Amino acid sequence: MPSQIVSLVVNGEQREFIAAPGATLLASLRESLGLTAAKRGCAQGACGTCTVLVDGRPEVSCLVAVETVAGRSIRTLEGVAAGGELDEVQSAFVDCFATQCGFCTAGMIMVAEALLDRNPDPSDEDVVEAISGNVCRCTGYRPIVIAILEAARRRREQAPQEVASR
Amino acid sequence: MVICAVHVPESAEAAVDRLAGGGWVMGGGTVVMPLVNSGAAPVTELVSLRRAGLDGVEVRDGVATIGAAATFTTVGERPELAFLRPALRTIASPTICNQATVGGNLFVAQPYGDLAVCLLALDATCEIAGPDGRRDAPVAGVLASGVAAGEVVVAVRVVLPQPGTWYYHKAMRRRLNSAAIVTVASVTRADGGVVASTRIALGGVASRPVRAGSAERLLRGRPLTHEVLTEAGEAARGDIDPFDDAYASAWYRARVLPVHLRRAFLP
Repeated sequence: MPSQIVSLVVNGEQREFIAAPGATLLASLRESLGLTAAKRGCAQGACGTCTVLVDGRPEVSCLVAVETVAGRSIRTLEGVAAGGELDEVQSAFVDCFATQCGFCTAGMIMVAEALLDRNPDPSDEDVVEAISGNVCRCTGYRPIVIAILEAARRRREQAPQEVASR
Repeated sequence: MVICAVHVPESAEAAVDRLAGGGWVMGGGTVVMPLVNSGAAPVTELVSLRRAGLDGVEVRDGVATIGAAATFTTVGERPELAFLRPALRTIASPTICNQATVGGNLFVAQPYGDLAVCLLALDATCEIAGPDGRRDAPVAGVLASGVAAGEVVVAVRVVLPQPGTWYYHKAMRRRLNSAAIVTVASVTRADGGVVASTRIALGGVASRPVRAGSAERLLRGRPLTHEVLTEAGEAARGDIDPFDDAYASAWYRARVLPVHLRRAFLP
């Protein structure tokens, strides 16, 4: 079967590109669309650095054949900072020293975004479980957990009514 | 091999038609895609079930029919299947649970595939579609010998266990999402303080999930005490054929089996 045109909604924008058979969502984002925040780590689904949101839920994009998600909504780290301003999760990662080499950061932040979308007030254990598929070899994880809890706190303080109504 | 086509059929029948041309069935891709990415997949075509309409869960009259392409997340979100949540949490991260499917888990090599261990304990039935139509098969048969070429597991049917009869325990290296050293799943009904009926399935201790028939026979008619369960766990050593891997030696798995079988019932 020849390459085919695949259409995705990426960060709210309709994008079309030519995909070779079996191309992963990760390769499509990085090589066809130039969105290089999601990284290729293990390509086995074990490290989580390629995590993006598919219809709002985190998936490791290295294990997704792009043809299988045609037409779906994809959110990457590039779509997080609205208007070029860091959001609560990103700024908490900076403030809490949750990033060192940065290779895991894109995946960690996308998992955190998905967690906070569903659970605005997560426990320490909720955060640990949420990032349990993401490997970080620098920080020892603790600063990342603290940053995600801090981001949740900032978001709750910013929009208490909105959170209460969820 | 290089993948030449990924088919995304929109029904089970279309998936069966596609498979007639060869290739591998792919559920969520968590097992197939690592092989594709490393060039180790011995196929050139994949048939994805992502859009085949097999991702739902239906519960009626105490029976759950779980589509083969239902993700672990979908299963865990169903209140009637909440008893499986502790097991699902031990298998994979929430991210992988968004991708891994119930049907795919039946074909995962040990020491992975703990949901299959649960399904074996539940004595689940697989609905299989093939070129000659549909057929049902016990999950034990599918775990033992797979399905015929050209066939696809399209759903798994489970009789929901009565409250208080489900037991699950997994020994692993980490507290979350790690491979099994020993997995124990059981539906056991006690009556008047003694075991009236029991099914016990084990993972991590053979090339596929196995029933602990020796332990089941020993438990019937007896109370679930520390001593009886230890005796049953020791008997279960006759039902296993453990292996060495990076997580544990075969010796270790056999050694600790009675402890973990007991802990499934008496934490």
